[in-house]
Amino acid sequence: MSVILEAKDLTVRFPMPRKSLFAERQHLEAVRSISFQLEKGRTLGIVGESGSGKTTAAMASIRLTGPATGAVEFEGEDLFTLDDEAMRKRRADIQLIFQDPYSSLNPRDRVSHIVQEPLDLLEIGDEASRKARVEELFKLVGLRPDQLNLFPHQFSGGQRQRISIARALATNPKLIVCDEPVSALDVAIQAQILNLLAKLQEELGLSYLFISHDLGVIRQVCDDIAVMYLGRIVEQASRDELFTNPRHPYTQALLAAAPSLARRKSSGAKRPQQLKGDPPSPINPPPGCAFAERCPLAEAVCKQMPPPLENGVACHVANR
Amino acid sequence: MSDSATTTTAEAQSPLREAWIMFRRNKPALVGMAILSLIILATLYGAFIFTGDAYDIVWAPHEPPLVTPEFPLGTDYLGRDLVAGLLTGGAPTLAVGAAAAAITMVIGVAVGALAGFFGGWVDNALMRFTEFFQVLPALLFAMVLVTLFTPSLTMIAIAIGVVSWPQTARLTRAEFMKIKNLEYVTAARAIGAKNGRIMWRVILPNALPPLIVSATLTVGVAILFEAGLSFLGLGDPNTMSWGLMIGSNRADFLEAWWPVTFPGVMIFLTVFAVSLIGDGLNDAFNPKLRER
Amino acid sequence: MALLEINDLKVEFGTRYGPVTALDGVSLEVEAGETLGVVGESGCGKSITALSVMGLIPSPPGKIAGGSIKLGGEELIGLPDKRLRQLRGSDMAMIFQEPMTSLNPVFTAGDQIAEAIMLHQDVGKAEAFNRAVELLDRVGIPEARRRASDYPHQLSGGMRQRVMIAMAVSCQPKVLIADEPTTALDVTVQAQIFDLLNDIQRDFGTAIIMITHDMGAIAEMADRVAVMYAGKVIEQGVADDILDNPKHPYAQGLIACIPALGKGDAGRPPPLAEIPGVVPPLHLLGEGCAFADRCAHKYDACAKAPVLGGDTAHPVACHASAEARI
Repeated sequence: MSVILEAKDLTVRFPMPRKSLFAERQHLEAVRSISFQLEKGRTLGIVGESGSGKTTAAMASIRLTGPATGAVEFEGEDLFTLDDEAMRKRRADIQLIFQDPYSSLNPRDRVSHIVQEPLDLLEIGDEASRKARVEELFKLVGLRPDQLNLFPHQFSGGQRQRISIARALATNPKLIVCDEPVSALDVAIQAQILNLLAKLQEELGLSYLFISHDLGVIRQVCDDIAVMYLGRIVEQASRDELFTNPRHPYTQALLAAAPSLARRKSSGAKRPQQLKGDPPSPINPPPGCAFAERCPLAEAVCKQMPPPLENGVACHVANR
Repeated sequence: MSDSATTTTAEAQSPLREAWIMFRRNKPALVGMAILSLIILATLYGAFIFTGDAYDIVWAPHEPPLVTPEFPLGTDYLGRDLVAGLLTGGAPTLAVGAAAAAITMVIGVAVGALAGFFGGWVDNALMRFTEFFQVLPALLFAMVLVTLFTPSLTMIAIAIGVVSWPQTARLTRAEFMKIKNLEYVTAARAIGAKNGRIMWRVILPNALPPLIVSATLTVGVAILFEAGLSFLGLGDPNTMSWGLMIGSNRADFLEAWWPVTFPGVMIFLTVFAVSLIGDGLNDAFNPKLRER
Repeated sequence: MALLEINDLKVEFGTRYGPVTALDGVSLEVEAGETLGVVGESGCGKSITALSVMGLIPSPPGKIAGGSIKLGGEELIGLPDKRLRQLRGSDMAMIFQEPMTSLNPVFTAGDQIAEAIMLHQDVGKAEAFNRAVELLDRVGIPEARRRASDYPHQLSGGMRQRVMIAMAVSCQPKVLIADEPTTALDVTVQAQIFDLLNDIQRDFGTAIIMITHDMGAIAEMADRVAVMYAGKVIEQGVADDILDNPKHPYAQGLIACIPALGKGDAGRPPPLAEIPGVVPPLHLLGEGCAFADRCAHKYDACAKAPVLGGDTAHPVACHASAEARI
């Protein structure tokens, strides 16, 4: 199978405002030297909690965020070396679905215009064919043609997410980055959107880079999974591997913390493992393993040396 | 409920027509529109009904209102007809207000948009520039401009525009900085929109509500500013305006209140009407308020 | 008699479409020391129910049109504001979804808790602050004394929610209402908050009303469950009964649409069960069952609204279920 998107040593550092005129400028390392491959027609999930850098990593990999270093190859072409106009043209192939269906649609535009805009901007087809395409997209994502002239606020969250998906599909992209596309939705609506995404992937041969904090969602849609913690990938595996045999203590803790229908209050079921505290700050991250402070297995070496990603897991203990 | 309209169908109408439908539902805005229309009609065509010349001395000075039927509002300190003065002086006053507000909006929005959108050194440079104009004492600066050049109405409008834009620039910048981080702006970028389009087609329409309100306020401020300059004797002495009427009659206010009060009432009515209209415009262009 | 009894509660809201019924005959009970889970999608009336109990329905446009709410035998509806204010915070308390906006950004965490204590108890400032520190320690904030003088923006989302909980339990309320308390939090933090709420309940015998749209949260937290839809309770019972044997098609859907977390087995999981469509807007509710348009089991009887009935321990409002058609 061919690789559609590959990140190599991707790093994103945001400069922080200086504390004083003479203070050294501090940097927030949102993403620290991560590498991943997304194969054509498949879904790569990036899972992690807030502050793990998962969204920044995804945005950087399609050149939509600040100062990224490393390389990102889309169909073998390094996106970071393209000039602005070439990158703009390339955007037809790479699209995006956002988390918040309320802030991702321009409130002053009619939804038909929102969906048509990518075609206008990238000058695809004539006016009539663009209009026809918008109607076709509406049908594809399960909206009615009589809703074309409404404004975003006239739709529910789930319907807005459908509009967002229609916009992303307008230019017939090959890759769609889904940034927490269902985390703002009620569970009942979440299932509709996840099924829609799966159906579209099958019909259109799309590849997804799928960001989520919800392991249940990740298991439902992703073929391969990368777990991020404080800017680094701590575990990388296929779905079957990861859910059957999670190796990194953080992955194990995430799985243990996720709510489950099987863990009942009535039976007094307790979580096997309970994480304490919060992740450390990404400004001046600790020298060793970022998870060491919360890790039940941490040893002396963990606090001194960052563990390399070997055999799909970045953990001194698990790799022994 | 957010789902309220999901089952209804909106007919496609031109955006302007829809805005007008919205505007019509705003009663205060309609009142404002009516007042302003009356004022404009009167200043444009009133001279055909009351044929008196505003500059002519036609009667004894300080004739009180409602005494002589020919001069229902009385006369000023030179014995000129106040009705003719109000009708003739309206157009220049409104023109100064509108022109000054336009200058303010063009400079203010352009500077604020660039600063807010690009940030970094562009923002720094433009904001220092803005602050320079902001710390200038506005009235003093306008006075200097007007005295350096001939005190014509054009000059007064420019002077007012030049000292009033920093406020608008700051407001625009703040709105741009807030909106540029919203996801629909990233979404526009992700579909290949260029910076210019993002600034003017995506961010500006969403930044408009406070800007429209501020523009209407600027019209009012400009009219008052003109009155202030005239009050200080820096108005254009050759063009009748409400401000000039107040300015030239101010010394005799205690003996004769009417030559100052009537133009003052006109200014108040105009500013009031414009701000009602501004409020209505704001609602009219906001789709969220549409299906009430 | 239960600690909190809601009987046939009706709440109306004035909208631009005229008055709509947001709650239509809701009856619930909570005993001391037990957790009632109230579950449903947004717009089902969960939060309105909670706000009614707290006497916080915004009025206008809202108004309580009928029914009764009794806390420890005392009728809350129609109670003078002064008495309601006394009860809020001391006998009943509420924590909200968004811990960022429910704390006042210009006061420290400790001060805000101390303030809540001083409102209801006759203690001095120093004493109240000391108790605030104890509470922060109790809700699992490390270095509580130092953290007490932090401002909300210096705390993480999980810590802020702990501060909210500390404030809510500061006067040991009899009833604690938690309105989607973990929706804005990460899963590991959510797990911590769930455990904390369960601990508090065990120690103080607090009755908890847990409002959520997530059946997973219900499983971990609730002793009993009420499923709400379009302003009505449509199914009610012991948590295990509802989770293992849901009778209403809506409750079945809510459980089936959760992506499972089991072991990975070969290949992609099959599509999730869906509940099609959306919750109908209140002004468009007709005579029939409000769920009928989204229901796979809809038949002619559904043109009339079903009433909650059947098994008294596990009642359901569904014609199809009552006639064993499901």
